[in-house]
Order: sequence, then C-alpha cells, then structure tokens
Amino acid sequence: MGLKRYIVRRIAWAGVVAAVMLTVTFVLLDLAPDAQLARVQFQAAASGGNAEAAAEAYAQRRGLDGPLWERYLDYLGNLATGDWGWSDTRSQPVSEAILTALPYSLMYTVPAVLASTLLGIAIGLYSAFNQYTKTDYAATFVAFFGISIPNFWFGIVLLLVFAVHLGWVPVLFDAELARTHPFSLANARQLALPVFVLGTSAIAGTMRYTRAEALEYVRATFVKTARAKGVSERRILTRHVLRPTLVPLSTILVGDLLGVILSASYLVEIVFGIPGLGRLSLDAIQRQDTALVLGTTLVPVFVAVIGNLLQDVGYALLDPRIDYGDR
Amino acid sequence: MPSGHNLDDPRATATGRSRRSFLKLLGLGGAASLAGCTAPESGSGTADGGGSAPDRADYVEGTATGTRTLNFLSVDDEPSLNRVQLALDGAYALTPEQEIFPLWADISTDEGRVYTVELRDNLEWGAGYGSMTAEDWIYMITEVFQAEPNWAGFPTASDWRQNGEPIPVEKTGPRSFEIRLQSVDPAFPLRPIMWGQYCMPKALIERYRSDEDQSGLQQDEEVQTLAYAGNLGPYRFERWNRESEFVAVRNEEYYLRDADDVPAEWADAPYFDSFTYEVVPEESTRLSALRTGELTATDVPETQVEQFEGREDVDVKVFPQPYMTSLIYNQRANGAFYEALRKPTVRRALARAVDKQAIVDDILRGYGNVAHTFQPTFSKWYDDSEVTAYGVGDTYSHERARELLESELASTPYRYDGDRVVDGDGEQVSLDLVFAQGSQSLQTTAQLVAQEYDAIGLDVELTGKEYGTLVEHHVYNSWQGDGDPPWNAGPYNGGPRDGSVSSEPWDLILGVTFNTYPRTPSSIRGFTVERGGINFYGYVPETDFGSLFERATSTVDEAERSETLAEIFGALSVEQPFNFLNMGVEIVGYDSAIRGPEEVFGYSWDRNTWRLGSA
Repeated sequence: MGLKRYIVRRIAWAGVVAAVMLTVTFVLLDLAPDAQLARVQFQAAASGGNAEAAAEAYAQRRGLDGPLWERYLDYLGNLATGDWGWSDTRSQPVSEAILTALPYSLMYTVPAVLASTLLGIAIGLYSAFNQYTKTDYAATFVAFFGISIPNFWFGIVLLLVFAVHLGWVPVLFDAELARTHPFSLANARQLALPVFVLGTSAIAGTMRYTRAEALEYVRATFVKTARAKGVSERRILTRHVLRPTLVPLSTILVGDLLGVILSASYLVEIVFGIPGLGRLSLDAIQRQDTALVLGTTLVPVFVAVIGNLLQDVGYALLDPRIDYGDR
Repeated sequence: MPSGHNLDDPRATATGRSRRSFLKLLGLGGAASLAGCTAPESGSGTADGGGSAPDRADYVEGTATGTRTLNFLSVDDEPSLNRVQLALDGAYALTPEQEIFPLWADISTDEGRVYTVELRDNLEWGAGYGSMTAEDWIYMITEVFQAEPNWAGFPTASDWRQNGEPIPVEKTGPRSFEIRLQSVDPAFPLRPIMWGQYCMPKALIERYRSDEDQSGLQQDEEVQTLAYAGNLGPYRFERWNRESEFVAVRNEEYYLRDADDVPAEWADAPYFDSFTYEVVPEESTRLSALRTGELTATDVPETQVEQFEGREDVDVKVFPQPYMTSLIYNQRANGAFYEALRKPTVRRALARAVDKQAIVDDILRGYGNVAHTFQPTFSKWYDDSEVTAYGVGDTYSHERARELLESELASTPYRYDGDRVVDGDGEQVSLDLVFAQGSQSLQTTAQLVAQEYDAIGLDVELTGKEYGTLVEHHVYNSWQGDGDPPWNAGPYNGGPRDGSVSSEPWDLILGVTFNTYPRTPSSIRGFTVERGGINFYGYVPETDFGSLFERATSTVDEAERSETLAEIFGALSVEQPFNFLNMGVEIVGYDSAIRGPEEVFGYSWDRNTWRLGSA
C-alpha cells in the first residue's frame, strides 16, 4: 500500500513539473526574437511592401494572432483533450510528428543503449576483477577514448572512412527504407555508424562507474567470506558484486537515457541526417514552432519522471534494505 | 517511378540513386564501354533505343532544411517554394535575358498599364476540379490575395494593392483576364506578382473562404499533397517524409508536352524519373554524399570548393546572385559617430579605408564580386561609366582616407589627436560593429573592417548577434521624441533620424544583406529615400532619388529608363549611403553528368530541361 501511495504521489508531482515546464517554455518562446518573422518583414519592406501587414499575415499563418494568455489557455485546453496541437513548421499534428520521429530515434538509441549497458557493465566488472592488468589498461583506454572524442567529429570521420572511402555504408540515411524495412540488412548497415558513435560515448561512462563501484565490493568482507566458504567466482561476480553495484548504476542509466535523448541524439541525428526526436525538437526550437517545442518538451519530462520512478522502485528490488513503505 | 529498394547494394537507396546508375544510363560503364558502344551525346538519357519506356535517372538534391508547408499561400521560405515548384509551374517564367517564357499563361500589354493574361487551354486541375479557367484566377486574386482581412495569411498580399487599393482584375474570357494598374508600370511582368504566381481551384478555396478558415485550408489533404496540381507541373507529389525527403515523380500528363510554342527540349521534359529533395542538415555529410554520388547536386560553401577541384565526377558551378553585403552606417542619433557618418564626404573617406578586393579574394576566396553601387555589374541597368569606385586599386588608401577624414571632421564634434580619432571630450572614438552570427566569412570580414578602421584611428568593437536579435535590437526603430512623429514609414523607419532610434545603439552593421533587384531596380527606392520603408540607417540623400525613381518607373521608353537608372546608381556610388562591399554568388556542386545549368543570374528557370549527358 505504501509503495502504491508513493508512486501515485510521484506521478502527481510529475504533472506539476510538466505544467511548470510547459508554462516557462511557452513564455520563453513568446519572448524570443523570431528570425523568420524578421526576415519576412524585412523582405516585405525591402520590396516596397507593408512590413506591418506582412507581420500580421505571418502571425495569422503561425497561429500567433492573439494575446499570450489566450493562446496558452487554448493550448492547455486542447492538451487536456489529447490534442497536442498543429506543427505549422511541419504541417502535421504534433502527436503525429513525435510518433513519426520516435521510431527513427529508437532504431539507433535502443541498440546503442543496450549494447553500451551490457558491454559497459561486463567490461567494468572484468576490469575490477583484473585491476591494473594490461586488459584493464586497454579497457580504460577505450573508456577514455569514448568519453573524450566528440560525437560530432567522430561521426563525420567515420562517414568519411567507411562511407566515402571504403563504401561499406551509405552516407545518407534513407528514412523511407528505415520506415518500410526496419529490420532489413540495408537498414542495419545504415544504422551501424550512428549506433557505434552513440555506443562508444555511452559505454565509457557505464564501464568506469561499474569498475569503480565493483572495486568497492571486490574486497568487501562479505565477498571474502563467500570466497572462504568456497562460493564459485561466477556466483561471487553475479550475486555478491554485481547486485549491489547495480543500485548506483541504475541511477546512471536513467541519466544516460536522458543524455541520449536530450543531447547526444541531436548531434548524431544531425551528422547522419536521421529525422528522429533530437532533430525534431532542435528544429522546433530553431523555428520557434511553439506547439512542437511543447510537445517535444513533454517527452524528456516523461522519460525523466518515469525513469526516476522506475529507478526508485528498482532500488527496492535490488537492495532489500531500501523500503518506501512509510513514505 | 524510382526503381525501388536494392537492399543488397550499400550505395543504393530507396530511389535507386547513385552515380553508378547515372553511368549505366549514360552507357559509360561496364559492358557497354567494353563493347565499344558510344554513349548518347545528350537527349533523353535513355539506355535503350527500343520502343519501351525510357529509363531515366533520379535527381536528388541535398538541402540543409526541409519544407514547412506545401500550401503556397503560406510559403515564406525558399525550401518550401522549391518543393511546390516541382508540381506547379506557375504563370510564367523569366529567362536570364528577362524575357517572358509562358508556362500556364502569357502576359501582354499595349501601354504598360493594363495587362492581359491568357491561359493555355490544356491546363487541368487534379482531384476532379476540372480545367483551370480565368474564374479560378479572379477568385484567387480577389478572395485570397486581396482579401481584407488577409484570412489566408498570404505573405505578399500588399503586392496586389496600389496606394492601399486592390488592383482591379477583370475576366475577359473563359481563359483570359485583365490586370488594370493605377499607373503605368512597364516592369510589372518582371515583379514577383504574376511572375511565378500559383493558383488553386476556386471550388477548393470556396470551402474555406466563407469561414475565413486558414487552418482548415492549411490542413486540407488536397493542399498537403498537392493533389489539385493535376497536369500543371513537371512532377507529381509522391511522398514527404518530414525533415528527411520530399519525393516527386515525373508527371506523365505534363501540359507542356502538347505545347507547340516552346523549344523542342521542353517537349519531353522533365528528363528524370523523380526529383528528390534530401534534407541533410550537416554540411560535411552533404558534401560526402555528393562525392559518393548519392546526391546529384548540393550547395558548396566557398571554403569547401577546393576539395572538388580536379574531380571528374563533380562539376562546381558559380551563379551570380543579386544579394549585396554592405557595411551599414548608423546615421540616426543613437550612434557614437553619427554626426560624422551623416556627411557623404566622411562616408567616402571611410570607403577608401576598406579593401573590398581583399574581402572578395581572401575571405570569400574569389567567390563574390566587388560592389560599388546598389546594382550588380551583370544587371542591364548598370553603367560602369556612371559609377564611382572606392576601396579598390588607387581608391584604397589608408593615408588618403585619413587625410580626407581629418579635413571633414572639422565641422563635427570629432577630431584627430595624433593618430587617433577622438570626440569632443578628447576620448578615443570607438564604434560598435554588430554582425549577424552564423557565417565565418562575415565574422572575418568584420575583423578585417576593424583592422582597416584601426589603421585610420578608429577603434571598432565587434559584437555577434543572432539575426532575429540583431534586427530587434538595432534595425527596428521607433520615435523617441516628444509627441507624435512627423511621419512614420514602418518598423524600420519610425520617423526622422534625430528622433527615431533603435532600442540599442550601434554604429556599423554587417550581415543584413540587401536584394538589389536587377530585374526591377526601382524596387530599391525604399533604401534610398529619407522616408523609405527600409531606411533603418537614417540616410538622408543629397540627390533627389524620389523624383528620379518616379521618372524611371513611369516611362515606357527603355532608353530614358536606362539613363535615369544609370544616374541613380552613379549618384548612389558617390553618396555612399553605406559601404557597398560585395555581391554574393551561389555555388553548387553537380554530378558531372548533369547538363543544363548555365552560370547566369536566374539560372534555374529552365530546370525542367536539365538532363544527363555525356562529356
């Protein structure tokens, strides 16, 4: 009962957070100078036309012809009925824009996050158990390389090598192919580099955290006791070291996922031309498409809130000492 | 239709585009070459000479941004316009020689005031709307372009008005109508009013007109997919993956195939099975795709042209553009040096201090042309003998600039103190140069200007701002004086320069480019008269440009017009309202198999006739 109440309270709190973020975003967008409006007005005046009439027509086209509070209330009213609004820079409903972009993002983020998580944890544990060996140094080098190298630059270089010079993969991302044949070899081929670039940056953090956390437990008294009792190394690794290590790691995983959605994906999607969520939100901000910015703002808010909730619940499952019963 | 997916070929994509496919079509690759077959000189790009349907290639153009809408009534950006143009030809085109090339319609006049538009008789709407008639146009013009209020949000509604009144239009036949201007305007066909204008079926517009339902029209499925386009363009809408690709396929019903008044190459146009705009935001990725042949064409920045030199598979072409980069002086009362900048003699002295040729040669790497007046040299209205040059050759000299500046500052609050220019309090004069962020060459130009000014004793502080912010802070200006302004010419010119100023002070601006309108040069009037709608810099000319423009626009005698315009551009070069720096160019890299693009202004007018050809 206590856990359920805790979850309900957290979800209600998420609603408050989302409302605050939407309001702040709405107001900030309205205050920001609109470069396209400036161009349209300037062009009208430069060609002898009426700049004010051009601005009014622009507002009419973009649905900006009304006081801020009225537009905001309209938006909230529509949102409450499940209508996320119309994106006038893409000429489609916001919900459709997000649902169209989401699969493209998932196509490369899911493999990248899965691979980096599994490999990162595996290599981190290996390094912890083999501290200061050559393989540990090699793994550390890979980790620092992944953290240090900018995704943007790395993506461009990989494209030049593997697409332009070797011709192993195409330079351009074919969205139609990805949409119609998501599980084809050709799609896997065009996703290989984005997954690799995103994976190398994500794997490093996971691996280093795993190594550091695992090192705390490798020499812990309960591990020594288990060894003394004759428990196998495999069981020590999975039951006595990995399990407590996963508690702080689960915190990083939500952060990783958010990082992927909020920042890394912008860069990867721009370099590889993938029309995913990162570009969707970036374009929306650059073009000041209010409805779309708000829609794409809700996605990371949702991921953060639900991710953190799942992570808190996960703590209780991973570590029996943690309990939300009396919260 | 494109060839579909080849899931085994890493270079092939959904539309089957690749340089290899071009070579195959040209007969330049593999077995054909080995067998000694010769490639076709030019023509349809067919691979076989048999009776089967010609096998054409696909044209894929890489762009940085996608389209916002396919509703041309809402289009205010070039990428959207480019997509619409594939399915809708528009009324007529203009050749680089400024001749009218009839597409949907021809336009003619006797005396330059009443224009007759005659539509072809084989224009068919799609989606069951029947034939295009004069009725459609009259309804479009009166109920949309000239509607009050502007319910459709049409961006250039003011073009269809003269002195605040709608330009009268009248149907004169089933497929003809007249446009009756209030006064003679021989350049009317060259203005983007009827030129390239689109139309929608009356029945489609009627559904939204009574409720003034702009969003309903915007979201209409037939508008979103250009389903009403019928046989009116060279391509048909196929699909639009937002921010990824826009694909149009060859329109087999294209109306120009039946036209007997167009050159032969139009008879079978277009020569590609499909035309795709591929959105690739990252420049280096676009250029890589051009190298691998995945793109047929894309823009190439001047800094990257070098990497394509010597490549046989890519042709880089340079097209003159009418956009001018200038160093704009603030002559309004919130500048730190405005008393001096109001004097043409000071502006001329400053123009001598900046090496324009170095900007073109070293910063733009030769991809640009030095400007001396408000008109490019390729314009038919440009008369070299009338234009005075500054900042090139002998007219670029720091010594001479300082000498002239020193003598001209005598009647201002500024003076030279040793090598430096100081104000009335003896403080060093420091000018704020604001430039638009986002262009490396512009930033370098700003740095060069700062160095050049430093050499004549003026400090310059550089500030980069995002374009929208720059306009809001420095270009908009409003009346700050007592009471109402004596006159107000809009947000860029809120009144006389002593009372109407921008919200933040500035002295120099770089990055607000001006269109020089080489086809209709009288359009620049607003830049050159005190009450001009775009005169945000507070220029008060010594020459009576208003009268000169009046003379140039009202005469149908081309010689008189030429003479008057030459006088205007000569006077502007002398008065130097701002420092005319350079005219821009567009640089495009094409697959070398493409034939058709000519390096002239307005080069894309015959894009439908471009094709594949052998070297």
